[in-house]
Amino acid sequence: MEEKKNETERTGRKLAIAASMLLFSSHRLPGVRGWELRRRLGRNYLKIIDALNSKLNGIGLRVKIMFDQPLGDNPAQEDFDRARFFITLSEPLSVADIVAAGWNIDDVAVLAAALSYIFTKGGKATEKELVELIEVKLPRWKVEAAIERFVRKGYLIRAEDSMIKVGWRTLAEVDEKELLKAIMDLSPSQAKDEVEEKT
Amino acid sequence: MSHEKKMVSKEELERIIALCESIEKRGLDPFSVNVKELLMRLRRILVEQRDLDTIVLDAETLYKIAVLISLQQRWLKERASSLFIDSQLVSLKIASAESKQLATALARSWRPIVKAEQLTLYRLRQGMEYFLMLPPRARVLEKLPIAREDAQRIAGQVGYAKGIELEEEIKKMHDRCIMMAGSSGEVDYWSIVSAYTFEDTVWKAYVLSFMVTEGLAEIKKNPLTGEMKVIPYPSKQKREKIAALVVSIKSGEVSKGLGRKKE
Repeated sequence: MEEKKNETERTGRKLAIAASMLLFSSHRLPGVRGWELRRRLGRNYLKIIDALNSKLNGIGLRVKIMFDQPLGDNPAQEDFDRARFFITLSEPLSVADIVAAGWNIDDVAVLAAALSYIFTKGGKATEKELVELIEVKLPRWKVEAAIERFVRKGYLIRAEDSMIKVGWRTLAEVDEKELLKAIMDLSPSQAKDEVEEKT
Repeated sequence: MSHEKKMVSKEELERIIALCESIEKRGLDPFSVNVKELLMRLRRILVEQRDLDTIVLDAETLYKIAVLISLQQRWLKERASSLFIDSQLVSLKIASAESKQLATALARSWRPIVKAEQLTLYRLRQGMEYFLMLPPRARVLEKLPIAREDAQRIAGQVGYAKGIELEEEIKKMHDRCIMMAGSSGEVDYWSIVSAYTFEDTVWKAYVLSFMVTEGLAEIKKNPLTGEMKVIPYPSKQKREKIAALVVSIKSGEVSKGLGRKKE
């Protein structure tokens, strides 16, 4: 009985350590690598992460694992050790939530347009193409400033020959298929309806 | 004639390489190039030119064409998949949508990372430990002559501004260094600069620094022991690399008890 209690206490402590490691990181990139978790939580760190994930689900969060490169269905232990673990929201936000969090709606629109275009261009597009595409909707200076901001935040990467690529943060936070589906679902009438609803 | 032909072939191969690279880098349609024609040209060049340079360049071109073919394969796979969405179509959708609609589309697929940037108790404890480890600055400052009167006294006593001929002082210091270095060619820094008074020590270090700057000597510091040696040169030496060396002289640290005024 006593042993079981100790075991529960130990697991609880490990869960707390895992949560603090994933939430409070002092690196430039959020989250921690698998090997860092293994060093702190022991060999069975994946079980602890699994338990933490179940607990976080209750409050709308989840542990996300990002592998260095796309893997098959059964990643090996070494792949998990090299992977980056972090916590993301489990459910998408509403536009009102995003705005309330301090984001500018035009900036979010620029990111949506840029990402969906880059995804369809096989992961990269020239900056000129992107600016020309989005400046139809917003002033050029605003588009350029937003792209610069998203490069700094890690959503986009500026590669050689003025190419823009998808950044690590996009891979971590944005579901490519879902975004493209959402973009394809857009219809001009939807916009009208929304405006009418507002008025 | 043959040389000209060789140059033309080389240029042609380089053009093909550049073309393949631009398609690969810019993500252009790999089917916009006629691979068959490229391979025919490659074969013709190989038959005409059989020198080593052309063969090497030819091999590189062949590799680039192979990469292009693999791009074509990937392109086809993407197009064939049911999830493929054309960029033109997306462009049209973006052009016809409102900013809010685009933002809503991203919101549907976006699950932002959650992280906290507050100071944790652990980090706070680490900071506290570091702070406690730092030596108290106040005690160090106590020893330094920080008062204006003290500074004026030192300046007055040493005579920095009394028109002492610095060049003459440097020459004297140089002669002394060479004499003390003897056959070993080097002498301990502190044995050169140490004097009976703190002010004289500072003055000697000051003159020595000018001597080193002039190229009449060099100071070498052992990074492990912290020992400093002065290597005097008989004449001015031109240096290839110049580095600054900071030597702090504090009244308590002037070695061998020579730094303080004789009581």
